Amino acid sequence: MTDQAIAGRRLQARDNKLSDEMFITALVAGAAIVLFLLASMLVPNFFQFQNVVNLVTNNWSVIALGVGVTFLLVSGNFDLSVGGIVALSGVMAVWFAQASDGTNPLSTGWGLPAWLAMMGALLCAVMIGALNALFVVVLRVPSIIVTLGTMMLARGIAQVVTQGSQRNTNLPSDFGALGNMTMFGTSIKLPVVLMAALILIAVFVERKTVFGRLTYLIGANPVASRLSGVDNARHVVNLYLFSSLVAGGVGILLASEFKSGFSNRGTLMEFDALVISLLGGVAIAGGFGSVIGMFFGAIVLATVTSAATGLVLSPDWQFTLKAIAVFIAIMAQTWALARRHSS
Amino acid sequence: MTHATAQTGVERGFGQRLKTFLKDYYIYLVLIAVVVVLSTANLDKFPLFERGNFLSERNIINILRISAPILTLAGAFTLLMISGYIDLSVGSAMSLSAVVYAMLVINGVPFVPAFAATVVVGVILGAINGFLVIRLKITPVIATLITLSLYKGIALLLVEDGVSAIKSGGGLKMPGWFNDYGRDGVLLGLPWAFWVAVLVTLAMIVVQDRMKLGKYAAATGGNPTAAELSGINTKRTVITLYILVGICAALAGIARSSFMSLGDPLSGDGMELTAILVVLLGGTAFSGGEGRVLKSFIGALIIMSLTVGMLTLVPAYFQTLVVGAALLLAAASNHLVSRKDD
Repeated sequence: MTDQAIAGRRLQARDNKLSDEMFITALVAGAAIVLFLLASMLVPNFFQFQNVVNLVTNNWSVIALGVGVTFLLVSGNFDLSVGGIVALSGVMAVWFAQASDGTNPLSTGWGLPAWLAMMGALLCAVMIGALNALFVVVLRVPSIIVTLGTMMLARGIAQVVTQGSQRNTNLPSDFGALGNMTMFGTSIKLPVVLMAALILIAVFVERKTVFGRLTYLIGANPVASRLSGVDNARHVVNLYLFSSLVAGGVGILLASEFKSGFSNRGTLMEFDALVISLLGGVAIAGGFGSVIGMFFGAIVLATVTSAATGLVLSPDWQFTLKAIAVFIAIMAQTWALARRHSS
Repeated sequence: MTHATAQTGVERGFGQRLKTFLKDYYIYLVLIAVVVVLSTANLDKFPLFERGNFLSERNIINILRISAPILTLAGAFTLLMISGYIDLSVGSAMSLSAVVYAMLVINGVPFVPAFAATVVVGVILGAINGFLVIRLKITPVIATLITLSLYKGIALLLVEDGVSAIKSGGGLKMPGWFNDYGRDGVLLGLPWAFWVAVLVTLAMIVVQDRMKLGKYAAATGGNPTAAELSGINTKRTVITLYILVGICAALAGIARSSFMSLGDPLSGDGMELTAILVVLLGGTAFSGGEGRVLKSFIGALIIMSLTVGMLTLVPAYFQTLVVGAALLLAAASNHLVSRKDD
């Protein structure tokens, strides 16, 4: 980090005790706690430690996807393809691993060992990320349209490979090992631990590395970053590859957990990943937001939806609740920042 | 496009003229190509169409009937995208309208009041989008993602638990005339829904070419600051366009609901993607400022012909893949075409 940036940061630190980002993150964390306490009062048996653990462990996949999506949003780009990639990588991993002597097309695969099948599936996922990067960075097509297209493309490939349903037979016995491995003698599974590690690494990268700080610069002012010699294009390409790699990993772990490659898995996950980022205070315009905020955003969403289920609302409520939650979050954050800056 | 021609003067080479020609007319060439291919292709193993003829009266009527919703929507959506804004909630607005319309009809409301009430719902849904984007200044993509979720959620909540859609049953019966609007041929064998789509498109062409709103939309999309400075009320322009899209989504919902004779809360899913696809195919620049209503209409005809043609050729599970690939191709070609102006 340059001296100037450090000086700027000190200046900012003198003006307000917290940076705007930390302020919003604290706000979201506070909202998560208030909502949890509120839900505890309304819903019987909600106030339990195990329930807190469940809020995180049940949502590991969306939180992990949120990391890539948050980084891209901070750089000023959308990634709506992650849900499609989850389906694609899961289906491909299963297809590659299925024995090649099946009795019907859906139980016949490539007969690769599980680890190789998973690597192959990761490669497929990264190829979708590369496609995103190609269209957004090289052809300069708006990222929202590109990633909607690649989401359908990825899910479409998954549907063709599974003929519109799923592949779950004729798998090697070790295929399910990764997704079902429990850790530290508890019931917590490997994917949850990987998600936690990913969050920690992401926070470190975001706060303490040049790469992380450049992401903010590119999102806040792409012209300034280009003029100061940053290769914006390359940076965004890397972010898309990273996001697709995470999504690919999530898809493979889910496929391993359920021992199946299901072409509709991950439907609406891209939407949820975006929702939790927005709840966590990431600004769509770029240059603002944090992975920790996104994490608390996920807790807010999980608390709201699980409380709604506890109150025996029909599952049809989820869309309305998400809409209201995002709306309130955006308005509250805009209002809070405006107040903070005017005072 | 016309002033570009004037600037380049008389000394344009053949290549230049070909480029301009292609840019102006490619969509019609694509339509002709699609029709020719679909009507002549004779793959031994896959008979493309029953009776081997794409241009049979029955098939054309069938395609145009199914296309009514997207044809209704394409015009207003084009104008909105020309102004540089986007509406991702059209599919949900369409589903909600379809549910509201079916609920009114099944509870004994006659055609005209039910139709009018649903259009009013469309006005409200569009106005909410306009309000979020213009008054509350939420980014269009996020604002309309919120309403996508909200409208879909309300549509799902309106339908009772355990029932998939509003339809006959539980003591209520859908009247027999319900699907006349979407299916019954009134002129040239085509139903009201299709003719309403044509009327809406003609109205949008008039708006684009003959009314201030059309000019204002183009100005807002081309350069919002300049438009604002030259006295155009861009805020009112954009809100009006969102309401127009809302009305068209309601009309599309009525058409779909009447065609399927039920109020399905998921019937509009993915419509926003189809709308973006046909508008991009029609050459509307996604940065705003440029585009033609008529070309989007043609784009919708191309997509629907291809969709129907494809279903006879490959299994239905290829559809997502093909639509996704088409969206990417349309976006890329749109980019390449509009770059020629630089």
